[in-house]
Amino acid sequence: MSQLQTRFFTDNKKYSVDDVPFSIPAASEVQELSNVINKLLEAKNDCLVCQCDLKRVLCVLQEDVVEIEYVERFTAPQPEECMMHDDWISSVEADSEWILTGSYDKTARIWSLEGKAVMTVAGHTDVVKDVAWVRRDGLTSLLLTASLDQTILLWEWNSERNKLKARHCCRGHAGSVDTIATDPTRTKVTGEEEEVEEPPSRPRKKQKTEQLGLTRTPLMTLSGHNEAVSSVLWLDSEEICSASWDHTIRLWDAETGSVKTTLTGSKVFNHISYSPLCRRLASGSTDRHVRLWDPRSKDGSLVLLSLTSHSGWVTAVKWAPSHEHQLVSGSLDNLVKLWDTRSCKTPLYDVSAHEDKVLCVDWTDSRLMLSGGADNKLYTYRYTACETDAGA
Amino acid sequence: MRTVNLESQKNGTMSKAKEKSAKKRVVEEDDDQLPIFDKDVTEKKAGEEDDADLSDSEESVFSGLEDSESDSHDEEEDAEEGDDEEDDDDAVILDEILTKSSGVETATEPPATDKNTPTQPDVKTAPKRKMKKGEGVAMDDGGEKGLITTRHGDEYEHDTSDEEDIRNTVGNIPMEWYQDYPHIGYNLDGKKIFKPIRNKDELDEFLDKMENPDYWRTVHDKTTASDIRLSDEQVDLVHRLQKGQFGDVNFNEYEPSVDFFTNEVMIHPVTNRPQDKRSFIPSLIEKEKVSKLVHAIKMGWIKPRKPKETTPQYYDLWAKEDPNAILGRHKMHVPAPKMRLPGHEESYNPPPEYLLTEEERMAWEQQDAEDRKLPFLPQKHSCLRAVPAFSRFIHERFERCLDLYLCPRQRKMRVNVNPEDLIPKLPKPKDLQPFPTTMSLVYIGHSSLVRSISASPTGQWLVSGSDDCTVRFWEVNTGRCMKTLEVGGAVKSVAWNPNPAVCLVAVCFESTVLLLNPGLGDRLVVSSTDQLITSYEPPEEDKEQAVTWALSEGPEHDNGHRLTLTHPKAVKQVVWHGKGDYLASVMPDNSSNLQVLIHQVSKRRTQNPFRKNKGLVQCVSFHPLRPYFFVATQRYVRVYNLIKQELTKKLMTNCKWISSMAIHPGGDNLICGSYDCRLAWFDLDLSTKPYKMLRHHKKALRGVAYHKHYPLFASGADDGSVIICHGMVYNDLLQNPLIVPVKVLKGHQITHDLGVLDVTFHPTQPWVFSSGADATIRLFT
Repeated sequence: MSQLQTRFFTDNKKYSVDDVPFSIPAASEVQELSNVINKLLEAKNDCLVCQCDLKRVLCVLQEDVVEIEYVERFTAPQPEECMMHDDWISSVEADSEWILTGSYDKTARIWSLEGKAVMTVAGHTDVVKDVAWVRRDGLTSLLLTASLDQTILLWEWNSERNKLKARHCCRGHAGSVDTIATDPTRTKVTGEEEEVEEPPSRPRKKQKTEQLGLTRTPLMTLSGHNEAVSSVLWLDSEEICSASWDHTIRLWDAETGSVKTTLTGSKVFNHISYSPLCRRLASGSTDRHVRLWDPRSKDGSLVLLSLTSHSGWVTAVKWAPSHEHQLVSGSLDNLVKLWDTRSCKTPLYDVSAHEDKVLCVDWTDSRLMLSGGADNKLYTYRYTACETDAGA
Repeated sequence: MRTVNLESQKNGTMSKAKEKSAKKRVVEEDDDQLPIFDKDVTEKKAGEEDDADLSDSEESVFSGLEDSESDSHDEEEDAEEGDDEEDDDDAVILDEILTKSSGVETATEPPATDKNTPTQPDVKTAPKRKMKKGEGVAMDDGGEKGLITTRHGDEYEHDTSDEEDIRNTVGNIPMEWYQDYPHIGYNLDGKKIFKPIRNKDELDEFLDKMENPDYWRTVHDKTTASDIRLSDEQVDLVHRLQKGQFGDVNFNEYEPSVDFFTNEVMIHPVTNRPQDKRSFIPSLIEKEKVSKLVHAIKMGWIKPRKPKETTPQYYDLWAKEDPNAILGRHKMHVPAPKMRLPGHEESYNPPPEYLLTEEERMAWEQQDAEDRKLPFLPQKHSCLRAVPAFSRFIHERFERCLDLYLCPRQRKMRVNVNPEDLIPKLPKPKDLQPFPTTMSLVYIGHSSLVRSISASPTGQWLVSGSDDCTVRFWEVNTGRCMKTLEVGGAVKSVAWNPNPAVCLVAVCFESTVLLLNPGLGDRLVVSSTDQLITSYEPPEEDKEQAVTWALSEGPEHDNGHRLTLTHPKAVKQVVWHGKGDYLASVMPDNSSNLQVLIHQVSKRRTQNPFRKNKGLVQCVSFHPLRPYFFVATQRYVRVYNLIKQELTKKLMTNCKWISSMAIHPGGDNLICGSYDCRLAWFDLDLSTKPYKMLRHHKKALRGVAYHKHYPLFASGADDGSVIICHGMVYNDLLQNPLIVPVKVLKGHQITHDLGVLDVTFHPTQPWVFSSGADATIRLFT
């Protein structure tokens, strides 16, 4: 069998091996390569599982010494908990301790990370479309629920006494509120958003201050989208990003309420996500692709990369909070896929736990991946990998 | 030398033949002189007795001799200088001839010899002169005279003189030049030769001819203007020459030949000369040549001969044949029609039913031979051996040959059209995006076939009516069924009010049209719709209406029911006007004029726009912009102007049975689906006939739809497929709509032979919904 000169390298200093060429069989598979690296690492370190990027191996075969980049392997996400709901799960958001889910049974629920139902937030007269944590002061948490009944409710929840109090009702949308987002400072602002009213009057996006009073009106309305706005998020405390059915992603200045940049796609956007680590936007749209955007590019319409593996609409995307290359996407084809942006053709893992459409996905900081869907189940998966990267 | 002899003989004899031969030679040698001598010939002919036939033979003879003569002259010329002896021989032979001819000469014309005497020295040179110059023959004639007297002088004395006529020195000129002179030339002494005084005229000539017994052997010599009478010997000579014999009587042409060397092998060599040394030594020259050749071969300058190809070479005679030529017709061979194979009737032992009964046989016999079904009588034989010879064999073959011969067979000229050329140039579907391509969502929930669907004007909701007596409201982007309403019958048609400010859905089942407020969307709109309905005040004078309007209350109201319109008959279709206030319902009935009703929701009024029954109404539609109303009966679509209350247009669909109809949002185009698998596109400005007929579906079309914004239209059919077509309508009135089929969408199961029952487009996105008999609604994006 022919031998091949290879040199292994990695960005991760912790797992670096000596920069000397090794001769390995040319027909080595990923498993064999990772065995080699593990053996090398064993000499100086404890055992690790490595993942080699096979594509990179293939594309540099012409050289004398093949350079193989290796990254540490993520073990497959292990399904951990399955939380049954009464109806479809429309949204999920987790913080470090609690999971908040919105459901089509007009309630939102708070779960512990272990899968124990803690609280049911009932108050909406229609389907809860989105939920968000605002902030936590010790035992008291503020949370938001947005609903089809055109209102957003701000709740105050005391986790110790398990008491829930509706603080405010935010009105102002002329359609169902499909998505909300909170300011990263978690102090005073929530951005939320709604579905179209009439075609002539553009859908609006609102943000609110937390002032006292039972009913709030929008602090600011961001008008510009021609059709339903499907997703909003805060890039930082000054910038709001919104994705819409009119095939555009718009960046707004939170202070003035004006459009800063418009990114134009060719399909309806279902969901977007932003990673402060890699400063990229990921969008899920009604074709099969997850697309990556650079929100800072001024020329708009620049797709950096498209991740193609889903066979249905991508309904939810979420960047990993602690890893700059990883993101998770959920699709109508019942699959949740874990992606590494360095290999755009195939996902790292397909998670096929759901039996129906996946509608929402999320990560927690504490190594949990969440996905909920039309089969009324919220799955949590444990992914054991990137503690080193996370720096946790 | 022999030829020379002959020549001299000729010269000596001075006969007509000689003259003639002279002429011939002239002809051969010098064309310029020809006319002159032709004249001579004509002159001669007058006095000639010999036929022209004779002259032919003369010519052949003499020409042959002449050739050989010239050859020998060449030889002589080569050896001219040193062969004096031979010259002597010549002289001797010449002398012999001259002795013979001289007698004649002297007998006939002694004066001529006298005259020529001084020219004797020329005699010897005559042949040589000829050799040297090849001059004209006329001089030979002159020379002949000279020859006669050669022997008397020193033949070498005047050897240098060229050949001149010795008797007349004028030379070789036409003698006519001397016609006007008293003389005809000059003799050697320079004295004039005078013409004879006696001048023969024609009469004299004739008399002479009649009277003179020697006339036939008299020859006129022009140069001397004297008549010469040929002697007997000369005449004989001429005769012999004419016969191709040798001139000399005594010449034996068959003398035995004596070999110079004996043919017997002698013991002594002919010469005793010892052989040369070089015959024993290898030749140096040869060696040199051979070595040169060897060198050339070594250097490759000379190549061995290629062996000739032994394979025979064939030529394609027909390679360049024009296939269209008449010969090409064997390529256009039309095979003769095959003869019918023998059936049971021809069998020697046919099944009994093929045998004719007695009556049939009688009928057969009485029939005319041409009318007979069978040209023979089926017969039964016990065994094959007993079958007699077929008596009609020759007859049958003859008829067959006659058929083949008389029957005109010709090839039908088919127009060769490349099928691809017939396809119009259409843009590629790829360039016509966006259009729905894949199935994205399936809305599951109904338990029976979904007859009708309609999308809300915002595109967020979808309503569907099914045969399971429910109306369901769906969230478009998730496929969630938001609401299910039970109604009292199988839902035939649903229609969402196109006005976004009004939230009403019209549902028809059995004989009821129900107006529902689904409560979806903006609360304000929902409540304002309710307000609009409740704010109705009944008019003071209550008019009798075709339908009864009833306001729903109690639990029905909570379910969303708002108004109930009870029709007298079963309602098949409801359709909204674009403004959302008017509503048309269809009650198909062949026998009544009450088929279409138009309702006004805000005033709760109903009117029947038509007084006459024009046929079974299939579906109706409002014009999106103008006050027109489209009514589709089984075969026609009628366009009415509602304000003027008149028929504007009648469209001939060429379909058997219209099933559905959709109006382009621009209002000038219309598509019609029919149960006979056809989709007709009408351009209302263009014609009342279909602009295009599309036959893409395999089975009956059930639903057609236009997109509001995108240039798309869709058709659903019983084959379970939805076909999306690009239908671009241009603002330019001169440009016809561009229709390109772009996609076939499949997904629906065929249930009870029904596939897709309704199609509708999303109001803003290029998405299409289709409802099917498999109780599902599908979204294609």
